[in-house]
Amino acid sequence: MVDTAHQGYKEYAIEEFLVRSEPYYRPVGDELELFSAAYNEHIPVLLKGPTGCGKTRFIEYMAWKLGQPLTTVKEKGKKTQEVGEGEIRVPLVTIACHEDLTASDLVGRYLLDANGTRWIDGPMTRAVKAGAILYLDEVVEARKDTTVLIHPLTDHRRILPVEKTGQIIEADDRFMLCISYNPHYQSALKDLKHSTRQRFISVEFDYPPVEIEAEIVQKESGCPAELALSLARLGEKVRNLREHGLGEGASTRLLIYAGRLVGRGITPRRACQVAIVWTLTDEVELQRSIEEVVSSIFE
Amino acid sequence: MSTDSFPEIEADLAKLPPAVLEDYREAAGAMETAFNEEEFSLWAKEGVAIGNQTVRSWESAVEYYRVSPQVARSLAFPSFMQWARCGTYLAQDSPTLAVAFFRASPLIVSNLRPQYIPRWAGLGRSLYKGTWKSSTLSAKFFEISPDLIRNLPFWDVEVFASLIEALSYKSYDVAVECLILGRDVLPLMGREREAFLSMCRVLTEGSWREVKSCLELAPKALSQVEEGQTGRFLKLGERLAKVGMRDTSRFLSDGTQALSQAPSGSQGQILDLCEGLLATFPDAVPPFLKSLSGVLNRVTMSQLETWYHQGVELLKENPESGIAFFKVESNTSEALLETLSSSLELERIKGVVRLYCSALSGTNIDVLDTKELVNKNIGWVDEDTASTDGSKVFLPPVVDHYNDKNENFAWFKVVATHQVGHLEFGSFEFDFQKPATQFEEQRRFDLEAQRAAERAEMLAKMEQLEGDPPVLETQVEAFTDIGRLLQLFDDRKLAFDLFTVLEDCRLDFRIKVDYPGIRATSERVQVEARSGRPRIEELPLREALVELLIHMSLEQFTDLPVPREYQEEAEMLARILFQLRVAAANVEDTGEAVVRAYEIISRLTNQQQPEEEWEPQDMDDPGEFSEEEYQSLLDKLKAAQQASGEDGEGDPYDSSEPVDYRGDFKPEMVQLLTKLQMDQNQQGEGQPLSQEQLEQLLQESAELELDAEQGEINNSMSAFAQNIMKEAGVPPPNAQPGQGYGPLLNDDEQGGELEAREPKTFVYDEWDFRAGDYKPRWCIVKEKVLEEGEPTFYADALKNYASVINHIKRQFELIMPERFRKIYRLTDGEDIDLNAALEAWADLRMGVPPDDKIYWHRNRIQRDVAVVFLLDMSASTAEAIDEGRHTVDDRDAPDDPVEYMVWLRRRREGLVRRHYKRIIDLEKESTALLINALESIGDTYGIYGFSGYGRENVEFYVIKDIHEPFSEKIKRRIDKITPLHATRMGSAIRHCITKLEDEDATTKVLFLISDGRPQDRGYSREGVEKEYAVHDTHMALLEAKRKNITPFCLTVDKAGHDYLKAMCGDMGYEVLDDIFSLPERLPMLYRKLTF
Repeated sequence: MVDTAHQGYKEYAIEEFLVRSEPYYRPVGDELELFSAAYNEHIPVLLKGPTGCGKTRFIEYMAWKLGQPLTTVKEKGKKTQEVGEGEIRVPLVTIACHEDLTASDLVGRYLLDANGTRWIDGPMTRAVKAGAILYLDEVVEARKDTTVLIHPLTDHRRILPVEKTGQIIEADDRFMLCISYNPHYQSALKDLKHSTRQRFISVEFDYPPVEIEAEIVQKESGCPAELALSLARLGEKVRNLREHGLGEGASTRLLIYAGRLVGRGITPRRACQVAIVWTLTDEVELQRSIEEVVSSIFE
Repeated sequence: MSTDSFPEIEADLAKLPPAVLEDYREAAGAMETAFNEEEFSLWAKEGVAIGNQTVRSWESAVEYYRVSPQVARSLAFPSFMQWARCGTYLAQDSPTLAVAFFRASPLIVSNLRPQYIPRWAGLGRSLYKGTWKSSTLSAKFFEISPDLIRNLPFWDVEVFASLIEALSYKSYDVAVECLILGRDVLPLMGREREAFLSMCRVLTEGSWREVKSCLELAPKALSQVEEGQTGRFLKLGERLAKVGMRDTSRFLSDGTQALSQAPSGSQGQILDLCEGLLATFPDAVPPFLKSLSGVLNRVTMSQLETWYHQGVELLKENPESGIAFFKVESNTSEALLETLSSSLELERIKGVVRLYCSALSGTNIDVLDTKELVNKNIGWVDEDTASTDGSKVFLPPVVDHYNDKNENFAWFKVVATHQVGHLEFGSFEFDFQKPATQFEEQRRFDLEAQRAAERAEMLAKMEQLEGDPPVLETQVEAFTDIGRLLQLFDDRKLAFDLFTVLEDCRLDFRIKVDYPGIRATSERVQVEARSGRPRIEELPLREALVELLIHMSLEQFTDLPVPREYQEEAEMLARILFQLRVAAANVEDTGEAVVRAYEIISRLTNQQQPEEEWEPQDMDDPGEFSEEEYQSLLDKLKAAQQASGEDGEGDPYDSSEPVDYRGDFKPEMVQLLTKLQMDQNQQGEGQPLSQEQLEQLLQESAELELDAEQGEINNSMSAFAQNIMKEAGVPPPNAQPGQGYGPLLNDDEQGGELEAREPKTFVYDEWDFRAGDYKPRWCIVKEKVLEEGEPTFYADALKNYASVINHIKRQFELIMPERFRKIYRLTDGEDIDLNAALEAWADLRMGVPPDDKIYWHRNRIQRDVAVVFLLDMSASTAEAIDEGRHTVDDRDAPDDPVEYMVWLRRRREGLVRRHYKRIIDLEKESTALLINALESIGDTYGIYGFSGYGRENVEFYVIKDIHEPFSEKIKRRIDKITPLHATRMGSAIRHCITKLEDEDATTKVLFLISDGRPQDRGYSREGVEKEYAVHDTHMALLEAKRKNITPFCLTVDKAGHDYLKAMCGDMGYEVLDDIFSLPERLPMLYRKLTF
């Protein structure tokens, strides 16, 4: 990597992307233990939960945490020195699935070059080889042919057949497949097939309880505790409207956005309006109702 | 024959100025060919006659000869001569007239039926009064006649001419001006022309100058009035003019201006008002119309009526002030408008408030008018105070506390938040067993034990006293937790008041903490509530202390009057209250607080304290509550009580006045209802409450205010009890018809929920837009497979529409190839794209990096469409199409079942032998064509018909079920599609949704084909017959949309635009102008919708 004077970006090879600094993650239940156990036991994990409730953050956090030397084995004095050196590499490969994502997008393809053709590994192949955590976000969106790849990788075989090159890759020991899906969002048509589902353990996520969410909002947006609590409370109230025409409740992410806007001097009511009310719905009556809740909670 | 053949005529003509002869000769050629010899001679002679009428009539003769060839082209000889004769007479009167007449003729005769020509000439003649001016007017009339005749029906021309004549008596100049204006203006009018002319006619008698201004104003003014209303409006003007209104033009401009301000569709309503006014006080109409636009800017239509009626009342008392009222020049009027315009109707904000409450409480809250709660007669009596029954929030229908809409809304919000607060912060979740958090000791348990001991002791005493088993009133086991708490106290009323004030205090504090946004408004409301409280000093001691607590709960802590002697007690009460002003306090804390407050207050004698005893106190920091201090105070009070030895209660305790904005708090009732409902849901477990038990419970409840006499109470008690059980869904113990309520299923309005008992029946909710809610399980849809008829219909339809089918097929085929089209130059695909590969190879040879897009791929976008067609099989589809004037209308279907059947039979009888096409026939043919087209592209589709009679009888016919393969059977079924009964669209649509919901397709379409508005027996609500059905249908379509189904309505009802907009909203619909285009249009629309 070339280090020019003021380079604003960083470039990594897919499998070299590590989560280097500790991401903020506030565990709500026993999800950390569950995930670690699954990781060590080579069990794939399915993360369920509404948008913006922290699934991706959780994966990042786990990638970081699993990459840390196990503090339990190390002596206390050594721990600080060893960071970066003694760490186990757990790269994180995240792929956002969309309806045109095909198996070959994941596995790789032949490219032409001056001397003929050249095989290029796709992100999944690279993750399998590098022993990364492969995170397929919103997996139901992907083409059905991707199941061909997911199935052999997720059972005891842990292999990736590469049809075009006629190879089979056995996954690195540290490789883990993790998928996410949002049960509220998908229609019944796009449900995960049971044969796929039953290859995973499922960790359910939901928006955290008010107090914890307030803590998260405060931490992430840097706003005062009181405001964070109010925002969390607003989040809770708005989510109550989910059955009343609101497709999705206000995500924690949106609450954090609102908190950050307030931090920049926007008034709370206005911040909530732009970050929450207008984002969530275009329906006038619903907007008005949420605004009334906002104006009740914020002065 | 030549012109020379009539030398005598030429000779006669030669006597006249030479121009006559010249023109005669010129015309003669053409006339010879048009007429035969005899006719020609008559024609020529007529000219001579004209020329000889008066000195200057030769000019007329010139004109006569000149236009003759043209006129002769349009008129046969007899009519021609009649026309010429008319000219002759006119020439006799005035040659100018005749000249104008002849000049206009060529354009007239081609547009006017010959028999009208003399009448037309007569019209012109009637304007001529022998003066020079009148001849100018008359000539002018002839001059503009071609325009008039071309654009207006002849009788309108006649009316107009007579109007002009009437005007000419007043002023020739005005008449001429109006004549010209009329020519330009009248053709622009539609049906209202007649009314307009008739109004003008009236004007000529009085303020004739107005006619001209009216003509000038009319086009612009009338365009602002809805088309159907112009006639009525002008009629109004006419009647006003008749009773002496002078400035009709003003009326025209002001009135139309006002009407244009009215919300669309309500002009008729305004005209109703005007007509009402006209009948009694015509003078008030112009001011009313004049101020109308201003008034409508401020109030709604319904408020306008309130304002109007007040004005009418005033008029009756004093016409002067009534007129001033309508001019908005009186204080009464202004003040009323002010109130009306700032008041807020619940109806208009219900939706928002409902969502707001639901958001806050986290449960599905319904917002209703307080009236509805009162009407249920289950213990709530006050129509103006808000309340909640645990699942619904009741708010007053109108708020006009402030002179500003926003402030009134804010008030609504404070009230609603307080009510929801009961739910959010658990007022009704009081659990006797659950520990309180803010008090160290749980005194209610001690108290309960103590009471039990007392009772046992008493019982024992009684037994000792008499040998007989005691006839002691046994206390009923408390049914609810709150009941159990309140039962501990002798004075239930006092205890309940304490519970109310303390719980409200807790809530208001919580709301203040959690919702700082409404703090300002709620403080304002609290201050206002305080100002209306009774003076503490004037109350007897117990009531004064309760009032003191109320003041503190309303955030007044300073300057509170307290009797010197009872300072300690008051302070203790304040401390108890402050224990609840913590965010963590729960409803059990309120319970504990009640126990403590009651113990103190009930030990004091309820007597009024002398004025000088009272001293203002500040209670804003009463100090920490401690059980020890409380106990010692209690001991002191007990000692004092024993010392004085008197059992004297003082005055009986009277309940304190409720705090307005907090509304009616009935926790025991709510717990009771919830409990009854729960018992109902888990039947069999435990002993359900009997009606007698319930009645007794209610007797004891402090929440019911029954001012009635004892006897009546007993009556109303059982009514209450029944209503409550009904509300809770408990079947009445021994329901007798006509008593309480009876679930009469065949009664649409009152009947309850329905159940689908038979196979293939389905129950659906129905949307009641008035209530803003669904009527649960309201309609039964019965699904049946349509019987089979002859398959010939299908074949015949295809034969008859062969050309259309070809067209449709072509259209469909145009898109077909897309499914198989290859896409080239891809990085990946099914096979190598040769062209691209060669290029790439060439590049490689040249050492240039090649393009790697060398594959092709078949476009895999599969058609993935599921569609349901829903055919209207209502009786109205039996209408013959050819008889265009027969409006399709089954709205007059009688409500009575027996009458309905008769009506239906009558309708159908007329159709036994028919030779004409009915709407249904076209529907059938379209279906056939559609099936033909759909089969060719292989979409998943179902075809259904619906009809029915009443909500328990929505018939749903399967013509082709969605997965049923197309077969001979289906062809046969199409034949049996026949007009049946009514159209309850909502439920039929809902059933289609159910069918489509299970489909695994990306595009889902629901296609509704109807011939009129939805209508059925009982598919309405009082006053809003048509709207109800339309709204339900709209809601059903919305439901479809929410489930990702694209709804589309196609109607052949030409009046469809009226309600389809409301029915479909932004969803697609089309009104078919030409019903015969249905078979062709339907597949086309389908293609558009799904490709």
